[in-house]
Amino acid sequence: MPTIRPTRRLTAAALAGLLLVAACARKGGCTGDYCGTLVIATGGEPDVLLPVVSDRAITRDVTDQLFLKLADLGLSGNTVGDEDFQPLLAERWEWDTPTTLVFHLDPRARWEDGRAVTAADVAFTYDIYTDSLVSSPFRSSLRHIAAVTTRDSLTVVFRFRQRYPEMFYDAVYHMRILPSHLLREVPRSQWRSAAFGRAPVGDGPYRFVAWRAGESLELSADSTFFLGRPHLRRLIWRFTPDQQVAVTQLIAGDADAVEVLVTPDNVQRACADARLACYPYKGSAYGYVGFNLAAPGDSTKPHPLFGDRELRRALFMTVDRGALLHNVFGDLAKVPPGPMSQLSWTWDPETRELPHDSARAARTLTRLGWTDSDGDGIRDRDAHPLAFRLLVPTTSAVRRQYARLLQEQFRTMGIDVQLDEVDFSVFNERARAGRFDALINAWNTDPTPSSGIPQSWTRAGFGRSNYGRYENPAFERLVDRAVASVSSRAEAKRTWRAAIEMLNQDAPGIFLFATENVAAVHKRVADVRMRPDSWSALVRTWRIPADRLTDRDRVER
Amino acid sequence: MAAWLVRRLAASIAIVWAVVTLTFVIVHLAHGSPCGQSDGRPVAPETCAALIRRFGLDRPIGIQYVKYLGALLRGDLGESLALHRPVADALAEALPNTFTLTLTALVIDFALGLALGVYQAARERRFGDIALGNAALFVNSMPTFWLGLVLLLLLAQWLRLFPVGGLRDLVLCPRMDSLPCLADFAWHLTLPALTLGLVGAAGTARYQRAALLEVVRQDFVRTARAKGLPERRVLLVHALRNALLPLVTLFGLTFPFLLTGAVLVETVFAWPGMGRLAVTAILQRDYPVVTAAALIASVMVVLGNLLADVLYGVADPRIRVRAT
Amino acid sequence: MSVWNWLAVGGAAVLALVAVAEIRRRTGTGSSGRRFFRHPSAAPALFVLAFFVTVALAAPLVTPYRPYVQIDITRLANHAPSTQFPLGTDPFGRDVWSRLVYGARISLGIGALAMLVAVTTGVVVGGVAGYFRRWVDATLMRLVDVGLAMPRVFMLLMVVALWDHVPLTVLVLLIGLTGWFGTSRLVRAEVLSVREREFVAAARALGAEPARVILRHVLPNAAAPIIVSAALGIGNVMLLEAGLSFLGLGVPSPAPSWGNMIADGWPKMAVAWWASTFPGLAISLVVMALNAVGDALRDALDPRKETA
Repeated sequence: MPTIRPTRRLTAAALAGLLLVAACARKGGCTGDYCGTLVIATGGEPDVLLPVVSDRAITRDVTDQLFLKLADLGLSGNTVGDEDFQPLLAERWEWDTPTTLVFHLDPRARWEDGRAVTAADVAFTYDIYTDSLVSSPFRSSLRHIAAVTTRDSLTVVFRFRQRYPEMFYDAVYHMRILPSHLLREVPRSQWRSAAFGRAPVGDGPYRFVAWRAGESLELSADSTFFLGRPHLRRLIWRFTPDQQVAVTQLIAGDADAVEVLVTPDNVQRACADARLACYPYKGSAYGYVGFNLAAPGDSTKPHPLFGDRELRRALFMTVDRGALLHNVFGDLAKVPPGPMSQLSWTWDPETRELPHDSARAARTLTRLGWTDSDGDGIRDRDAHPLAFRLLVPTTSAVRRQYARLLQEQFRTMGIDVQLDEVDFSVFNERARAGRFDALINAWNTDPTPSSGIPQSWTRAGFGRSNYGRYENPAFERLVDRAVASVSSRAEAKRTWRAAIEMLNQDAPGIFLFATENVAAVHKRVADVRMRPDSWSALVRTWRIPADRLTDRDRVER
Repeated sequence: MAAWLVRRLAASIAIVWAVVTLTFVIVHLAHGSPCGQSDGRPVAPETCAALIRRFGLDRPIGIQYVKYLGALLRGDLGESLALHRPVADALAEALPNTFTLTLTALVIDFALGLALGVYQAARERRFGDIALGNAALFVNSMPTFWLGLVLLLLLAQWLRLFPVGGLRDLVLCPRMDSLPCLADFAWHLTLPALTLGLVGAAGTARYQRAALLEVVRQDFVRTARAKGLPERRVLLVHALRNALLPLVTLFGLTFPFLLTGAVLVETVFAWPGMGRLAVTAILQRDYPVVTAAALIASVMVVLGNLLADVLYGVADPRIRVRAT
Repeated sequence: MSVWNWLAVGGAAVLALVAVAEIRRRTGTGSSGRRFFRHPSAAPALFVLAFFVTVALAAPLVTPYRPYVQIDITRLANHAPSTQFPLGTDPFGRDVWSRLVYGARISLGIGALAMLVAVTTGVVVGGVAGYFRRWVDATLMRLVDVGLAMPRVFMLLMVVALWDHVPLTVLVLLIGLTGWFGTSRLVRAEVLSVREREFVAAARALGAEPARVILRHVLPNAAAPIIVSAALGIGNVMLLEAGLSFLGLGVPSPAPSWGNMIADGWPKMAVAWWASTFPGLAISLVVMALNAVGDALRDALDPRKETA
């Protein structure tokens, strides 16, 4: 067929061109220990490269290479005390009083423009993170810190409102220190659109090079980085329309790494590839169906359906979470025993929760007056069908799959569910405004629940991330006790479990999955270590041994 | 001719204005809020209010409209809500990519379509004509995005002849500043352009075949045949020259059509062009980008029509007489 | 799939064959009918359409499952084609064949209904513009210019995505209302040429109502291009619906349409090609049949061909 011919000719021309590229690249080029190039394919794209205003995982992955924290979690993931933390921007610290923490900055730390990183930058950063006009998603995580002041240009003092086990964690984990001399002039209400956010100047192991919207983002290593020169010379994020395409690019050799493969078929495809190595690590996300306990659009009234605890419990018992999980994730996730990820130290499979019991659910619904009186397959009461809309973001293949499975499970129980599938940004807008009946949401959690749980499941999160406006004073008292329990970790764990069990009995949501992550990275990359809370935190120590360098690593650009 | 051109231009501008107005109305009926762009945890009410003031969303719609038109005339397309940058910048980045894709597709479309059409006309009602005709019809009947997905799967994922998407090799060719990198770009361009071009080519071939057959039945061709010219010469020289005339019109009309097709093809092939930008903006309710994209698209269509008319006028003297 | 289902499918095929033969017998005597069937692909295309329409109407007979039933989500998801599931199962453990057949109802239905809306609007607007001329014509045709200047996918996407949820009926209406511009131009041109002919002038001179004149005298003469553009238009609408579904904005789950079947199956293409491929083939086949029928109709109904 003549349609084929031009295709072949073009391919031939292109292949010839590529050979030429390879030939040119071989001349000269980078050699030695600091040459690697890593291309990371990802389904998302940062909104803005300013860590303070974004908590997108992809933004965090990129900005963590550009902006340093004062100190960081160790590989143990221990969030209590300060023993397991690794110095970053702060070379050392000490406690003046039990609630006064003093950091001494590393005098070698420099911004990209050559200016020293100072205590004033830290104080400025704290000010920005806690400013209500900037409205940082991390603001409430800093609620226990009363003040941050400078003692001299390299010494900064944190004062806490109270003593608690994770004080140090709160002081260092949430804030990425920002350059005050470049950002002081930006009006506080316009941080999201500041030009800096598209061309950031940082103090981290990598420098910003270029960001092509919809295509890629490139960073290059700072050869003078004071904590050791990164081995990988270039980091390139390649943005793809979705996770599926990212995996496809990885297998096609257009990318070197995908940090989460998500589904079993992806894992199978990627790990079967001889050029790729797979690295499992604990997942930090949990997904759930959240019920809106308030009427959509009017938070003062209860939701006509989900205001009723009994009905919520019946819906919870309707769903066979194990079967759903198996369909979507195979063995790559667990059913969470409450709102928690596997990363959380409070993870406890023994936590009591409602069973999957469709017979009991059916009895409850009938008792509540929901019966199929007109024989259309859908239960009704006073001529109102038992129906609701489920809000789902189109950007998540996993959640879309869950939505379709849930829709059918509810249908067999005589409950009519319609899906509202919208873009992620629209999803967020409607979730926050409470304009939904139920939604499928997922949270990326910290290694400790002390800020996540209050934000998402107590009154503190109303109008913020407690989308469904769940509240239970007894539960909140238990959470406060758990966060502040100074005496022992075991006691804290017990208190957390009691709190979660209380929440589970109220069924504010159906907790569907807690992910288990598998990353795939090209085999030529050595020393691949991933910290579960942030897989990219240690990228600066990954390396490509000189004998495994390819032309792609050597090319000078 | 000049007067006619001026009239046509004025009409075109009026059409573009109407499209912009329509888009503006549709977008504002949908009640946009700029506060949905935060990720995960929400924007504070204070910031939201500040954003609304900044984008003037609290003013009456009439005033917003006048302000928008005023800005438009100054060449100011506003600022994107989701990208946190001027719309004009985002468009300036995406437009060249779309043009490259569409123009390449156009070349494939016409080259392949013409060749097929002539071949089929020469073999009218014989096996080659019928087989190719049906094949072309089938391709023309596939959803464009699906054809793209199938090509992607077969040629890129399984046979590994082409890259699975994107604009270029990011490692070796971050900039297009050398011959090998141009080749690399062409290599990345092939599949999306082929997808778009094939669907169009199938249509062009059908059109061309019909046009040729129509011409072949006219008197001057019969005369040429009667003179004893070889059939190939009759077809390629005498008939084709006349059958190309309608194709000229098709040329102007196909461009905007391809632009529409590019909307989905760019999404399939992760091609950072205007189509993908527009789709993303629509899905994210990024109104300034949506309105700007509608503006650009309508300008393309109107220009395409205008071009078709002018080309037709130039190619066919009879039209010119009638037009003036 | 049971023996009865297979028998029903066979029955549908036979019925479709008989229908095509019958059409051929009835129309084959007229000159336009002969011209129609002279097209080599006209009869097969007609058969394809007749077959899909028949199975769609007889869906409960030819399918073993209801289209939304997830047979077993843990064990029967992504099941390869077999005798039990002739086209396999999709990632949700639903029978692809059953969904394809019920999907034909929705996809063909949307195509036909939207086209009906489009043709009706186009005929009314074109008829009114052509008959009344002057400012009515000028206004309406400028409206058409604007409509044609905006890419259709774009306009649909905008409306569908910007509102929170669009019911199926509204979607059909929208697709129809964005598709009449071409038809109205066609009809207007035809009306303009017909209205000058003697019989129309005579009717007007006798004091007939304008609407009556348009309906009784003008439209029948303009019928040919309308029918052809309608046949081609149905195919276009089906492709459009598929595109919208691909972006997650088409027919809402769990109702099957060929477009959302492609979209549902696509993420698992690497492990289960059947879930996405068969609906894709079905669309292509039906749209191709519609195009072939449209082409054949164009030749058959073109009065100029009478002398050729």
